[in-house]
Amino acid sequence: MPTTVTMPRLSDTMEAGTVIKWHVKEGDTVASGDVLADVETDKATMEMQTYDDGVVAKLLIGAGDRVAIGTPIAVIAVDGEDASSASGANPAAASSAPAAPAPAETPVVVTGTVVMPSAHADNGARARISPVARRMAEELGVDINSLRGSGPGGRVIKRDIESAAARTSGGTAPASMMPVVAASAPAAAPSLPVVAGPGAREVAVSGMRQTIARRLVESKSTIPHYQVSMRFNMDPLLELRKMLNAQLEPQGVKLSVNDFIVRSCALAMAQHPYFNASWAGDRIIIHGEVNVGVAVSLPAERGGGLVVAVIRNADQKGLRQISLDTRALAEKARTRGLGPEDMMGATFTISNLGMYGVDNFTAIINPPNSAILACGAAVERPVVRGGQLCVGTELDATLSLDHRVIDGAMAAEYLTTVRHNLENPATLLV
Amino acid sequence: MSTVTVIDPTMSATREIEFRDALREAMTQEMRRDPRVFLLGEEVAQYNGAYKVSKGMLDEFGPRRIIDTPISESGFAGMAIGAAMMGLRPIVEFMSWSFSLVAADPILNNAPKMLYMSGGQFGCPIVFRGNDGAGGQLGSTHSWCVEGLFSNVPGLKMVIPSCPEDAKGLMTTAIRDDDPVFFLESERMLGMKGHVPEGDYLVPFGQAKVRREGTDCTLVSFGRPVNFCLDAAAELAKEGISCEVLDMRTIRPLDIDSIVRSVRKTNYCVVVDQSWSFGSPGSEVASQLHQHCFDDLDNFVHRVHSADVPTPYAFNLEQEYLPNARRICEAVRSCLYRA
Amino acid sequence: MSMLSEPSTSRPFDVHGSPGERTLAPAATGRRDPVDPALCRQWLRDMLLIREFENRCMQQYQDKKIGGFCHIYIGQEAVAVGCTAAVRPNDPIVTAYRDHGHALARGMAARHCMAEMFGKIGGCAKGKGGSMHMFDREHHLYGGHGIVGAQIPLGVGLAFACKYMDEVIDGRPNSRVALAFLGDGALNQGAIHEAMNLAGLFDIPCVIICENNGYSMGTSIHRGTTMGHDIISKAIGYGIDGYVVDGMDVLSVYHDMSAIVEKCRRESRPAFVDMRCYRFKGHSMSDPRKYRTTEEELQYASDDPIGRLKLHLEERGELSDAVLKDMQREIRDEVRESIAWSEASPEPPMTELYHDVFVEPHGPYNGTSLPKMLQGKDLR
Repeated sequence: MPTTVTMPRLSDTMEAGTVIKWHVKEGDTVASGDVLADVETDKATMEMQTYDDGVVAKLLIGAGDRVAIGTPIAVIAVDGEDASSASGANPAAASSAPAAPAPAETPVVVTGTVVMPSAHADNGARARISPVARRMAEELGVDINSLRGSGPGGRVIKRDIESAAARTSGGTAPASMMPVVAASAPAAAPSLPVVAGPGAREVAVSGMRQTIARRLVESKSTIPHYQVSMRFNMDPLLELRKMLNAQLEPQGVKLSVNDFIVRSCALAMAQHPYFNASWAGDRIIIHGEVNVGVAVSLPAERGGGLVVAVIRNADQKGLRQISLDTRALAEKARTRGLGPEDMMGATFTISNLGMYGVDNFTAIINPPNSAILACGAAVERPVVRGGQLCVGTELDATLSLDHRVIDGAMAAEYLTTVRHNLENPATLLV
Repeated sequence: MSTVTVIDPTMSATREIEFRDALREAMTQEMRRDPRVFLLGEEVAQYNGAYKVSKGMLDEFGPRRIIDTPISESGFAGMAIGAAMMGLRPIVEFMSWSFSLVAADPILNNAPKMLYMSGGQFGCPIVFRGNDGAGGQLGSTHSWCVEGLFSNVPGLKMVIPSCPEDAKGLMTTAIRDDDPVFFLESERMLGMKGHVPEGDYLVPFGQAKVRREGTDCTLVSFGRPVNFCLDAAAELAKEGISCEVLDMRTIRPLDIDSIVRSVRKTNYCVVVDQSWSFGSPGSEVASQLHQHCFDDLDNFVHRVHSADVPTPYAFNLEQEYLPNARRICEAVRSCLYRA
Repeated sequence: MSMLSEPSTSRPFDVHGSPGERTLAPAATGRRDPVDPALCRQWLRDMLLIREFENRCMQQYQDKKIGGFCHIYIGQEAVAVGCTAAVRPNDPIVTAYRDHGHALARGMAARHCMAEMFGKIGGCAKGKGGSMHMFDREHHLYGGHGIVGAQIPLGVGLAFACKYMDEVIDGRPNSRVALAFLGDGALNQGAIHEAMNLAGLFDIPCVIICENNGYSMGTSIHRGTTMGHDIISKAIGYGIDGYVVDGMDVLSVYHDMSAIVEKCRRESRPAFVDMRCYRFKGHSMSDPRKYRTTEEELQYASDDPIGRLKLHLEERGELSDAVLKDMQREIRDEVRESIAWSEASPEPPMTELYHDVFVEPHGPYNGTSLPKMLQGKDLR
C-alpha cells in the first residue's frame, strides 16, 4: 500500500504551501525523518520530512508549485512494494488526508439596476415610541400614529398612551383609568401676578398634581357635565350593616357604607348599561365588565393627591369581597403605591366625602367614564315617614353625567334603582 | 407612613458589630470548622491586618494558618491557587484589589479556568478578598473598582456586600464554595455598624435583596453604592417618586430574575455601579434588561457610574467622581422624564 | 556530569556555557548505585514511546488533526523520564506547555494524550485543554500550563499544600515533594522569582527544574538572560540550593534527582536544578530554526539521550537486538492505536461547552441567562 504525502501544515496560520525545492527524486530511498522538500509557508521556508521509510514512487507537483494543505504532492512506496506500480496508484483514493479545499467561489457579477426595498416608504417617518408604550397602545387600542409624544424627540411614552386612552377610548378594550404616577411635561407656565404679603410663596407642583390638573381640565372642558341628586333613606342599611359587622368581626371584615354603595351602583348596571359606557366620538361603547373606581386620597408623605383604585367585576362580587378589595387597594395606595393594573379599566367611579361630614357635593367625571357618583355623609335629620315626623338617617348623592351618553331621565331612573337597592339592602346580600 | 421594608432576620437581636468584625467572624468560624482553611496576605498576622480585619486571628490560629507574606501578589496568589488545586481552601487577602493587578495572570488565567481546562479534574476553591473602590482620597492607582475588569471572566464568582450582615453571610458562603470567589470589600465601609447574626450564617449567592420597596423606578446596585441609592430614594420620595432599591449582593452570579421582576412593575430602571461605565456590571445589567424587559421599558436603562476618568485625588473632585446620591437622583428624574 | 565538565575539542558547540564550580553541587556528587537493567529497559521504552508519540504528533499536526500550538519534546525525553523515576507516584508535578513527555512519563495513556490534542471527548481533559494543557488527576499531574513561568507559583503552592496537609492537618512530618518544571525562557518572568522567594522563605519542599535547552523560542539563553551560564546563581540568591544536572543522560537525571528530591523531602526545603538539555525540533511546529546552525543540531543529535541509554545497555549486554525490535514494534503499534482511537473518539457534545465552568454541573448561569441549549434540561 503506497503512502501519499500531502502538503503539510507547517505553521499555525498556513493555508497553502509552495515547494521551493525537492530534496529527493523518484526512485530515491528515504527513511523516516529525511527531508523531502523545502516548503515555503506564509511565515518561513521549512523543511518537510517523511514519516515513513520507503522509495519515492512519484512526485506529483514540481518545484515552484503552490498547493493547499492536504493536496497530495508525492507517493512513497513502503514495505518493499513495487515503486512503479505504486506510482500508478490513485493518490486521491490512497490518501488519508482530507480532500483539498474547494476552489474559492467565483464572485458573482450582477448587472442591471438593483432596487433596494425601502424600510420606510413613508419618507422615513416612523413613530418613535417606548417599548412599554407600544405594548400598552396595542392592549388599549390606541392609534400611535395620531399621537404626539411628550418624550425626548417626540417619543411616545407610557403617560401619552394613558392619557390618549383616557381621552379617546378607541377600540374595544376596557378604557384606561386615570394615571396618577406618570407626570406630564409641564406646559408653559402662564405668568401670574403674585399678591404680595407675609405668606406669599410658590409651591412646586408634583408630577401627580400636574396630571390631575391636566386630566380634570380636559374632562371639565370637553364633557358636557350636568348633575342629578337624590336623597336615600339609610336606616335599614345601617341596621343591616351593624348586624353583619357584628357577625363578621371575628373574620376581621368590617363593611363600610361605601361598600354597599359600590355594590348598589354595580348591580344597577344590568338595567342601565349606559352608565357603564364611554363616548367614542361617533359612537357609544358599552363595556363588558363592570369595574367600579373608588377615589382614594393619598397622605402627604406620599406626595398627596388622588388616585382611583379599581374594583374589577364589582357586579359579580359580594359585599365582603368588595370590602376586602377596597381596603387592600387603599392600603396599597397609601403605602407602596398602586400599579397601573390597579388603576386602569374603571368604567364608573364613586367619590365619597362622607367620612369628612360633607353633606353633598359634585364631582368631575373621570374620563372615559360617562358618570361619577358623589356621596356625602349619612346624617340624622328630621324626616316625615308615614305622615309622622321622626328622626331618620339619610344620605345625599349627586351624579355627574356626560350628556352625550346619558340624558336626564335616564339618570333619574338609574338613581331610582340605586335607591331601591340601598333602601332594601337585603337585595344586596343575594 | 414609611415605605421602607428592610428584610432583616435579626431584627430581634441587639448585637451590632462593624463590617470588619463581621468579616473576621465569618473567617474565624470557618477556620475553626475546617482545618483546610487558612489566611494569607500582606500584614495579616503580626500586624493584625492593615485594616484590622484579621485582628487577633494570629493569636488563635498561629503562624501556620495566618500567614504573613511579602509584598509579592503574583507569587502568593499563584501559590494559594496551587494549594487550592490540592484541595486546601485558602483565603487570600489583597490589601487592596488595586494591588491584585500585578497578580492578574494567576487570578484570571489560572483560578477561574483550571476546572474547565482540566476537564473537571482540578477545581480551585479559593477566596480572594480585599478593599475595592474609591472614596478615601487615595489617588488613581489605589482606587480601583475591579468589578468591571474581572467580572468579564467566566468561571469565577464575584461577591460585593453592602452591609455588615451580608458581609458575614456572604463570606461564610464564599469560603464554603467550591469555585474561586472574588470578594470585594470597601475600606470606606469597614467601620459601618449593623446587626449581624451570631453563629453559622450563610447568605446564598445569586439572590438580590430588596432594600427598599417602591413602585416608580427600580434602582439596581452593587456594594457600597447601594447605600447611596438608599439616600437617593429617601430624597426622591419627597418628590413623590417611589424607588425600589435592589442590592444585588453578587455580581456573578447575577440575579437578573429579581431585576426583571421589579422592572416589569416599575417600567423604569437606573443601574448604579461604582466601576467605569464601559464594559461593566452596569452595562451588563442594561444589556440583559433590554433583552428580557424590552416591552416593559418606558425609557432606556439609565446608568450611574464613576466618571470615565482616572480617579482624582482632590476631595471635591473625588466626591463628584463617585456615583453619589445627587447623581442618582438626577438619573432617576431623567429616566422618568421628569428632568 | 562528565560531558559538561570536560572540555572537548570534538564538541565545539556549548549552548549553555560553563557553570564553573557549580558542577560540584553536593547532590550531584552522591553515590551512584547500579540501576536494575529491567528498570533501564523500562526507561528506554518510555523514552522511545515519547519519541515515537511526538514524531506522530508532528504528522498529525501537519495533517490538521491537531490544532492550535504544538510543542514537541523530542531530545528532552531523559528529563521527564528520569525525573519521574526519581519521585514517588503521589508527588505532584506541574509543567509548562511542552508537556506531552511529562504526561506520558507520569503514566497517562497515549490515547488520552493524543485524543486531547485531537479535541475529542476521550482526551485527558475532554478536549478542552489541548496540547499545552495536559491534566491527569490520577497520576498527580497538575498541568500543562500555557503562560510562560506561571506554573511555578502553582508548583510552590502544590508543595505548600502537601506540607500543610501533613504538618498542620495531620500533625506528622512532611512526606511529599512537588516538581515544578520550566524552560530557560521562563527564567526572566517575575512570577518565578516571586515563587522562589516564597519557597525559600517558607521552607517549601518544591524542586524547581529548569529544562535548560538553551533557547527561549528563537533567543539563545545568552541573548536573553543575565548569568545564563550559571542560572542556579539566581536560586542561590533566594536561599535555595542549586544543582547542575546533565539532562541528556537519563541515568544522571535519575541519580542526581533522586538525591535532590530526597534531600528536599527530608529537610522540607526547595531546590533548583539547571537541567541541561537540547530540543531537537523547533520551538513549535511553525519554527524554521534559523537561529541555530545545522552543525550545532548535528552535534547534539549525536548526543541523543535515547542513543546514550541504548549504548549503556548494549555495552553491558542488557539489550538484545530482538528485544529492541519488539519494543519498537510495540511502541509503534501503541502510538498508531492511540491515533486510531482518537480518530474514533467522538467530539465533545455541545453541552460540554457549558460544563466544568463551575463545580456545580451547569451553573450558575442565573435564571434567564441560562444558555438556551441547557434550558429545560435536568442539569444534575
